[in-house]
Amino acid sequence: MSNDLARAVDRLSRIPGVRGALVADAAAGVPVVESVADGVAGPAVVALAASLYRCAAAASENAGLGAMGPVQVDAGAGHVIIIGAGDLLLVIVAEKGAQLGLLLLEAQRVAEALP
Amino acid sequence: MARDPASPSFVPLARAYRRQGLHEAAIRVCLRALERQPEHVEGHVLLGALYLETGDLERASDEWSIVLRLEPDHFDAHRGLGFFYLERGDPEDAERHLSRAAQLRPEDPAVAEALRLARERRAAGADRRPVHRDPTAVFGPLEEDAAFQGAFVVDGQGLVLAGSLKEGGAGRAVRLGAILGETLAEAIRMVEHLSLGGWEGVLLRTEQSTVQVSPLGREWSLVVVAAPDAPDGWLRRTTSQAAELARAYLADNHE
Repeated sequence: MSNDLARAVDRLSRIPGVRGALVADAAAGVPVVESVADGVAGPAVVALAASLYRCAAAASENAGLGAMGPVQVDAGAGHVIIIGAGDLLLVIVAEKGAQLGLLLLEAQRVAEALP
Repeated sequence: MARDPASPSFVPLARAYRRQGLHEAAIRVCLRALERQPEHVEGHVLLGALYLETGDLERASDEWSIVLRLEPDHFDAHRGLGFFYLERGDPEDAERHLSRAAQLRPEDPAVAEALRLARERRAAGADRRPVHRDPTAVFGPLEEDAAFQGAFVVDGQGLVLAGSLKEGGAGRAVRLGAILGETLAEAIRMVEHLSLGGWEGVLLRTEQSTVQVSPLGREWSLVVVAAPDAPDGWLRRTTSQAAELARAYLADNHE
């Protein structure tokens, strides 16, 4: 299983503009597999992303909007994309100029294939 | 806490439930503890926030009123009641509470703007002139599009200034605004921790809707709610149009 995960994050991390791709344990907020560029603190990214996703999922449920899908945070210097897949989270950190359409498409594929 | 409902530890426990989205449990904890400690100011403040987040504005305002009886200069209670009365179309009471909130925290831009709005509405009422625009109809021009489910302007604490949702109207917008406040705060915290620059938007795709939250100046955020399958490009364009309408509304109400 970990080989499959490693291949998945490796594939994502090769997309131009991606600075990190990580699979995390959603409940614990810790990385399971990661492929990140220098300067990207994987554990911190995952902890913050897991906390945000939990909060967003609770908000969605409380607001009657149903199950949470992808969460995308856009900032002046980049993007963070978080996709839930069962007990796992797929987290991607990308630069501002990344091709978001391609990235989201590939991320969705990878998330759907996660065990 | 289970053995002693009067334990002061009920506030951290209720906050923990709130963070997990377990609002009903958090409310039960507060109610149970406040029966034994009816003068616990922090408990009433938290209960008010929980009612706000579950869309029960009347009960939230009751809690803020209790807070003010216990602590007449409590900023959050004056602020909450100010927005509550503004939302209910009572600019006199809104101005009274917002003035006090502005005295307590003159640096709070959302309070300052809401106070200007309350004064303007009061003056408009006194002159028997109509209020410039209906705040719930700000995004009316976008409503013909089937994918558009609504939009609203919200402050940093999740209090809605203008806008509504097609389904559920202004009341549902108020509830969603309150609920989204914490998610937005988490997103901004993440952006800051990761040194990604200023936040420019948070996009939530849920089973029922797509929710785009964008900054609107320094003190407000714009929330656009759309169909779950709304394409990204359409969403970007619609958000841009909604932002123009929101800015026009804010500008009209500042003049």
